Amino acid sequence: MFAQIAFNGLVTGVIITLPALAVTLLFGVLKFPNFAIGGMMTVAAYMVFALNAQLGWPLVVAAAIVAVVFGGLSIVIDQLTFKPLRDRGGITLMVASLGLGLILENIARVFYGNAARSFAYELARPFRFLDIRMNREQMIAMIVAVVAMAAMYVLLTRMPIGRAMRAVADNPALALVRGIESPHIIRWTNFIAGVLLAIAGVLVGMDRALEPPVGNNYLVPVFAAAILGGLGSPLGAFAGALIIGLLSELSTLVIAPNYRIGVPLVVIALILVFRPQGLFGQPYIRK
Amino acid sequence: MGIVLCILAIVAVALNFQWGSGGMVNFGLAGFYTLGAYTCALLMLKAGGNTFFATLGAMAMVAAASALIALVTIRVTEEDYFAIVTLGAGEMLRLVSLNEDWLTNGALGLTGIPRPLASLVPFEYYHYFLLALGAVLLGGTVWLLQRIGRSPFGRIMRAVREDDVVAATLGKHVLWARVRIFAIGGAFIGLAGSLHAFYYQYIDPTQFSNIVIAYAFMSVIAGGRGALSGSILGAAFVMLLLEGSRFAKDLIPALSSDQLAAIRIIIIGVGLILVLIYRPQGFLREYQLQVDVASGKMKT
Repeated sequence: MFAQIAFNGLVTGVIITLPALAVTLLFGVLKFPNFAIGGMMTVAAYMVFALNAQLGWPLVVAAAIVAVVFGGLSIVIDQLTFKPLRDRGGITLMVASLGLGLILENIARVFYGNAARSFAYELARPFRFLDIRMNREQMIAMIVAVVAMAAMYVLLTRMPIGRAMRAVADNPALALVRGIESPHIIRWTNFIAGVLLAIAGVLVGMDRALEPPVGNNYLVPVFAAAILGGLGSPLGAFAGALIIGLLSELSTLVIAPNYRIGVPLVVIALILVFRPQGLFGQPYIRK
Repeated sequence: MGIVLCILAIVAVALNFQWGSGGMVNFGLAGFYTLGAYTCALLMLKAGGNTFFATLGAMAMVAAASALIALVTIRVTEEDYFAIVTLGAGEMLRLVSLNEDWLTNGALGLTGIPRPLASLVPFEYYHYFLLALGAVLLGGTVWLLQRIGRSPFGRIMRAVREDDVVAATLGKHVLWARVRIFAIGGAFIGLAGSLHAFYYQYIDPTQFSNIVIAYAFMSVIAGGRGALSGSILGAAFVMLLLEGSRFAKDLIPALSSDQLAAIRIIIIGVGLILVLIYRPQGFLREYQLQVDVASGKMKT
């Protein structure tokens, strides 16, 4: 029983890593928490649904195409919504992102209604290992998320664009002096975040049913993961997500499952009071 | 219609007090509003209270919950972190209303909430009475919060908003000020929640989705951040947009009610972003004391 719950928690955590990484990358470069990520996950998941369940394309193909398209779309969204507000301060951007999240969730609702849907793929019997029941969806989610994380690690540490992103996140003025143009980096960051959110949307839609609030239901755990890891720290987001996932699921042993979301909330509150920089963030300096 | 405008305007004025004047963003608004409505309804139904004390109870309850949330700013005062905490807290309150069947009747909601003075006012005029009550409460809210805003505490609020380090350096207790800002605003969100319960007489969790947050922020931004009475104009603007979007039904008759509701939220969201981009200062400006150089007197 314990092992089963821990495994489920691990899967939840692994799924959260992708949007948490998107949050942390966007925050690092743009310096505001983007609340639209929930709506973006939802819209991307419905785009995949349209190609997969309605046009009959294989799920993998549909997800891959949507991931790339959605990366581009998130650049467009950023240019339309956030670019004109760029120098107005974090709060304005944050409120705009909240509005954008509501818009996106409701665009999905206009086209597909409130009914829960699911992707079209073959169901397989759960796989058993040491008394732990593992769905095929859970296995796929684990593999996809781990591969995506590995790719992100290579991108951020080995490739010029990833290093440039980290440089802009760390110190935009210094990055500019070294000839790194931030508009270029902002576009790349949005593209990568879009790809991550699209993949996360599909995984979330597979893990639970696909319905309009699906993305926004993950907002609090995702931000908890990003804050726990230290906002702006990619490695921290990964660790934070696993911890949040595990803690949330394990909490169902003692509290009613409906209140799982209380765990990330308590974690955020504790982190803010006792260790504001997160587990892996830079020491906290007031500016 | 008018009463809905009053309720929205009270929420907007309260949010403007917390966020516009005090710099404390509240993304858990929908949850606090829920808490107010449920506290009021439960005090009426289960504790058999009268409407006056039920409303006071709801205000006290939301104020206490808000004060508790404001305590997390003890070390980290950046608004973005606080926003996430309020978002989570609001979600938690909504979940309580949905899941604690023994108390809130879960998804079925609470029915038969008695209305204030229903036995004294003739039924056919009751709607007008409620509207007048809402208008008076709205006027009272604006008057009181404006008084607070122009008192010494109001200056502390703005100092904390602009730069909490400077405020602390001047010997102001920043955390205590934040707790009070959030609690006072919260009390009036509780008042709006009570009015909601009295007006609809039936509450269930679906009435309190996060859309309330978008409406309130839209009202505050359109009306002008920090300009409390501007939020009434902002709320009227939001209602106008909402009513206007009913015409979408005439344009495309095939839309279902779910789709129509979604389209209205999209319109509000787009309006919010457009106002932020093109008219960020809103309709009215914040109250400021200025010295008239010629006469040496203070004026507003």
